[in-house]
Amino acid sequence: MRVVLSILMCFVLFLNHAQDVNLYPTNGVKQQKDLYYAFTNATLHISGSLTTKGTLLIQNGKIVKVGAIVSLPKGTVKLDMKGKHIYPSFVDVYSNYGQPEIKQGKHDPRPQLETKKKGAFGWNEAVRPEYNTSDHFTANQKSAKELRNIGFGSVLTHRMDGIARGTAALVSLNEGKDRDLIIDPVASTHYSFTKGSSRQSYPSSLMGAIALLRQTFCDADYYSKNKNDLSLDLSLEAFQRNTSLPQIVEANDKFTILRADTIGDEFGHQFIFKGSGNEYQRAKEIKATGGAVIIPLDFPKPYDVSDAYAARLVTLAQMKHWELAPSNPKILAANNIDFAITTYGLQKKTDFFGNIRKAIARGLSEADALNALTSVPARMINAQDRVGGLGVGMLANFLVCSGELFEKNTVIYSNWVQGDEFVINPMDLVDIRGTYKLKIQENDRTLVVSGSLKKPKATIEYNVVSDSVSENGDLVLDEQTNKPIKVTRKKQVKSMLTLSDRKVSLTFKLSDEFYSLSGTVHSKSGIWEGLGTLPDGSWAKWAALKKKDHKEKESKNNTGIKPDTIGIGNITYPMMAYGWDTLPSLKQILIRDITIWTNEDSGILEKTDLLIRDGKIKMIGDILDVVDPETIVINGAGKHLTPGIIDEHSHIAISRGVNESGQASSAEVSIATVVNSDDINIYRQLSGGVTSSQLLHGSANPIGGQSAVIKLKWGWTPEQMKYSEMPKFIKFALGENVKQSNWGSYNTVRFPQTRMGVEQVYYDHFIRAREYEEEWDRYINRKSKKKNAPIVNPPRRDLELEALAQILNGERFITCHSYVQSEINMLMKVADSMGFKVNTFTHILEGYKVADKMKEHGAGGSSFSDWWAYKYEVRDAIPHNPSLLNRMGVVTAVNSDDAEMARRLNQEAAKGIKYGGMSQEDALKMVTLNPAKLLHIDDRVGSIKVGKDADVVVWSGNPLSVYSKVEQTIVDGYVLFDKNRDIALRKEIAAERARLISKMLKAKLGGEPTQKIVGKKGRIHNCNVLTDDGN
Amino acid sequence: MMGIDRIVILILMVFSHVGSTLAQVYPPGKPTDQRILLLNGKAHIGNGDTINKSAIAIENGKITMVKNALLITIKEADYDTIIDIAGQHVYPGFIAPNSTVGLQEIGSVRATKDYRETGSLNPHVRSAIAFNTDSRVTATVKTNGVLIGQICPRGGRISGTSSILHFDGWNWEDALYREDDAIHINWPAMFSFDWKTRGRVPNKKYDVLKKELEDFFMESSVYAEKKWEESNRFYAEKSPTDLRFEAMKEVFTGGKSVCVHADFVKEIQDIIEFKKQFNIERMILVGGYDSYLVAENLKNNDIAVVLRRLHSLPMYQQEDVDLPYKLPKLLKDAGVKFCLNNAGDMEQMGLRNLPFYAGTAVAYGLSYEDAVASITSSAAEILGIDDVVGTLEEGKDATLIVSRGDALDMMTNKLSLAMVQGRFMILRNHQDDLYQKYMNKYGLTD
Repeated sequence: MRVVLSILMCFVLFLNHAQDVNLYPTNGVKQQKDLYYAFTNATLHISGSLTTKGTLLIQNGKIVKVGAIVSLPKGTVKLDMKGKHIYPSFVDVYSNYGQPEIKQGKHDPRPQLETKKKGAFGWNEAVRPEYNTSDHFTANQKSAKELRNIGFGSVLTHRMDGIARGTAALVSLNEGKDRDLIIDPVASTHYSFTKGSSRQSYPSSLMGAIALLRQTFCDADYYSKNKNDLSLDLSLEAFQRNTSLPQIVEANDKFTILRADTIGDEFGHQFIFKGSGNEYQRAKEIKATGGAVIIPLDFPKPYDVSDAYAARLVTLAQMKHWELAPSNPKILAANNIDFAITTYGLQKKTDFFGNIRKAIARGLSEADALNALTSVPARMINAQDRVGGLGVGMLANFLVCSGELFEKNTVIYSNWVQGDEFVINPMDLVDIRGTYKLKIQENDRTLVVSGSLKKPKATIEYNVVSDSVSENGDLVLDEQTNKPIKVTRKKQVKSMLTLSDRKVSLTFKLSDEFYSLSGTVHSKSGIWEGLGTLPDGSWAKWAALKKKDHKEKESKNNTGIKPDTIGIGNITYPMMAYGWDTLPSLKQILIRDITIWTNEDSGILEKTDLLIRDGKIKMIGDILDVVDPETIVINGAGKHLTPGIIDEHSHIAISRGVNESGQASSAEVSIATVVNSDDINIYRQLSGGVTSSQLLHGSANPIGGQSAVIKLKWGWTPEQMKYSEMPKFIKFALGENVKQSNWGSYNTVRFPQTRMGVEQVYYDHFIRAREYEEEWDRYINRKSKKKNAPIVNPPRRDLELEALAQILNGERFITCHSYVQSEINMLMKVADSMGFKVNTFTHILEGYKVADKMKEHGAGGSSFSDWWAYKYEVRDAIPHNPSLLNRMGVVTAVNSDDAEMARRLNQEAAKGIKYGGMSQEDALKMVTLNPAKLLHIDDRVGSIKVGKDADVVVWSGNPLSVYSKVEQTIVDGYVLFDKNRDIALRKEIAAERARLISKMLKAKLGGEPTQKIVGKKGRIHNCNVLTDDGN
Repeated sequence: MMGIDRIVILILMVFSHVGSTLAQVYPPGKPTDQRILLLNGKAHIGNGDTINKSAIAIENGKITMVKNALLITIKEADYDTIIDIAGQHVYPGFIAPNSTVGLQEIGSVRATKDYRETGSLNPHVRSAIAFNTDSRVTATVKTNGVLIGQICPRGGRISGTSSILHFDGWNWEDALYREDDAIHINWPAMFSFDWKTRGRVPNKKYDVLKKELEDFFMESSVYAEKKWEESNRFYAEKSPTDLRFEAMKEVFTGGKSVCVHADFVKEIQDIIEFKKQFNIERMILVGGYDSYLVAENLKNNDIAVVLRRLHSLPMYQQEDVDLPYKLPKLLKDAGVKFCLNNAGDMEQMGLRNLPFYAGTAVAYGLSYEDAVASITSSAAEILGIDDVVGTLEEGKDATLIVSRGDALDMMTNKLSLAMVQGRFMILRNHQDDLYQKYMNKYGLTD
């Protein structure tokens, strides 16, 4: 029985188009369809690089033989393909073809904390690995035809819904019974970072989606090992099963590809990435992932920039992407990245070939283009033996074309799918183009037929004899006869021409009178003849005799595609205004005669030199000339130098959400997974002297997410911006935000709703974290390592408790959003009783009321300078807070939590002098050394000391004065902001925009469809922003 | 001659209950009939002039003399109190146009919010009567030198009518500088936020919304005419009263300014046309981010700009990083009359930073005295209160501040004296008290 079953399986899987003789009843006579078809004398494109002249033999929907010389079995239908080219039909591995529509759940303003899905499934509705596409597949001939017409024979289809999306099916675009169309019912599995139709609160952010996917990998593994002890979870079961399939992740941004790859590496999988079309901007990094990429062809249309004022809303990034997007395939190819092309996202499938040609014009080779549509996608899903080529045993999915596939004038005659022919353009299309003598009754006129083979156009030319007229309208007279001179003028009239099979009809208007001719084209002589109606209504014979053949305009290269590689702008880093053409190189920097605020015992040093070498502070003092001629020398006379400003509380440079607000604890999420180096605020803050920032999770829940501590390395990648050996931080929050006081009346469900509840959330989580840790300790120190001991499975890996356990162990530090003294005190007591310390209270506006207790506990404070009155809990906030905390010996910083304020944190620090009488040096420390201490990076930054990182700022005057400006900001020894370069850049940006705007206007005037302006104003985050802004 | 510290002590003694009224709002200054002389301070007149060593005489709430102390002879007998402020700076009290201070106490507590009425066309809604003179927020604003505000309703198409009040009164009635000075229009936006693309897209309803506004102005001008005619006829039957139209009447006589809030250049161009269309005598552009692009046109049409919050980010990615900081300089160079304001996120409590916006403008090209003018005389002129305040000039109200250091720099802004209409203001607020309370707890002293 088992043997029979597996044979059946083979049947279904590999021979599905074979005759299902016995499985299904037939109404009427059984049809036998096992004839051989031979396509002879064809140019066979076996793959992008391999071409041969020969024969293709197919039977039962599959390729039987292929080669230069093929002996044909008896009973073969022979089709002469002389002059024709045969290509494998295309394979699209990113599609939702034949899938039911996804219905969005009803919007409910109340939070939905648990799944509403019925059945033995997992806890989160966005995780739906149990979904099998083939179970729900039903062919859709309208879409199938659209895809066949542009050369596709098979697609990998899946339900594009959720974070784990289940399995995809490889299906053919043939007609017939659905069961015959499924080539592979379980071909791949799919993931994404958008929750789709799920209305469950969690996850609400990109980092939440990342954490959820990671946790699901952990859980599926744990489940598979402890199945017998656990209740049934069909989701985890399916998830684990699916991991053996090719795994495709939808990544809607270049950086999300890198993010996804990190997850793949963590769990030992190499993902395939569905890209968004901007991969070229970070091709080197994407190459390094080792993953193949599926790229879309939906190149952006030019923006309608005809209104110069409104054009300001279009960012340079948008403009440059418009120009460079068609280069994406070529750049990926040049970087040796395996990529497939998908039609997904193309609004009009008919744009497909046009866009492929655009990509080829940018330098993509035709072979690479073909591979990206055939063998590469097939290989991605291990279907290279079935689709994407012209090999023996593969499905008979191929295209018959009039010439080289991507040439402009090539016509696809037919797309054979599983051995069934779909005619796209009739092959016996006669080329009627040429110049004819058109005879109607006695009159001769000239008929010119041009245009394309498929859609010929006709023009009637005839002569008109009239009097000659001079320029000023007088008749020109013959000098001898004094009669008007007659001249013959050629006139042209467009004609309506239709050709169907060999029937031709031609209608035109001469001197306001209609002629309507119908007839036949003789196949051999090329003569047209027939009858037509004349303007008077009478019937007359007509004929057209060919005098000249049509000549195509010769194109210069053999592809017929004009290269479009000149005058294209650069990729910049980041690809937006103020980006670098190439990153600066590390140079020695000597700053002379400057006033240095050291933040060390040496205090403020006047007229001192500073040498930076290899990204570090090398020397402070009187420095003689340095030998290196490459040295950048800055004359610091009259200027001041300080350590780079450090913002303890920042929310810039984050992709898609700073809050994972779906649960009271989200310790498992991390801002470090969603750092976005393409944020203009990085540059803006460099212009204000900021060199390091802690990118914090928001304050939506008592236990927020993990932080990223970064340097503002403008132009570098997210990974490169993070501190090496990045100190581990996590955001906590207290008060109104976490109890959802100001979230409207619907948000009264999530625990906690009071400060009382907040304490219990902490105890609950820390106690569980301790137990978790103990469980792991027991496992690691188990005695069962001896021989013959029963195998003990490791405990479940819980990313949330893991992070919390790190706090208990002193490996991870808390930055806690806090306002009111009672709760500040509470958290310190929780920490004391659980044996750890609260590292930093951020905002800490009532810190001054418990400064003594904070000092005793060892907590630092990172305060606003003067904010208050925005919430009830900050009514007792005072601007003297930093001064008082500082005087009480608490390590105190002043932070921004605001992208605008961050670029003038020096002014915020100076307010400490006004309120509470801080000394100037102490005030500067509020935004330099003290935040460095709080962030545990003071061994590298925060003061001017030999050996520390060269993160320094040159100011035009006293750094605390409202009148001082930043002249240079240096990070790791790179000058990343320079006031003179900034001015030069402004001009460059204006010129580059002008160039792109005129290019877009030219495109618009040339008739290209444009898109309306959508101004993307970078969303500015603070703690309270809850939404995933989709960037 | 009395030193400044003694004066402060004197004032504190008058309110000797200070220590026991923690966290309350201090009372306004007491009227005095003394003849006072502020001597030797650096006077920033507000109109661009300075006097390094000034003699400023005050009597009955008015400035009676502003002179160079080095050029005159001072008779001690002419004054009851002479305060030596050598080394200190004197400024006219700073003026905050387009503010909602006093109309909100706590941002997240709805019960404390009184600036947004429901409905779209609300010219009849008046801010003055909701102005809370006991606001703790205002108390922290005036101690940084901001003494007068144009208190504005917000929201809707026509938010309502603002009034100008000072920040040291017992009651809104006493605090009024100019009642019902202007109506406020939120000009329709040409670009609106679109959730689908999460970007700003052209607002399809712009023309319709603009038409609504034009219709309303047209109707209210006809109403005003009709009422004027009726008032001149004795026996005529009076037509029914419409409060909204009533509130518009003075717009057409120039009695009320029209403050139009807009930023985008084409909106501003339409606003200029709107002014011409309805013959609006006093029009003020509020926000005006793009005003530098149409400076000439604004100048020619006599439209002043209450400039968008200086400490803000550029609106467009590609713009000069410091564009918002240098807008004052650009407008100054173009000859457009302008002043600064603080509308926006957390505007009430942030209003105390108004002087530092002016300071930042100096860093980005504006001259120091022009920066002072941008929060004193220019603001007064634009708001139409320059006959009584805005400069340190003879005959004007003694509404002024003295700062130990440069008041536009946060390092040195430290008031030693402030007067509203000649009354000494208490230079202390509940935040100072809370500070002191905990200094005492910890046994610390300043």
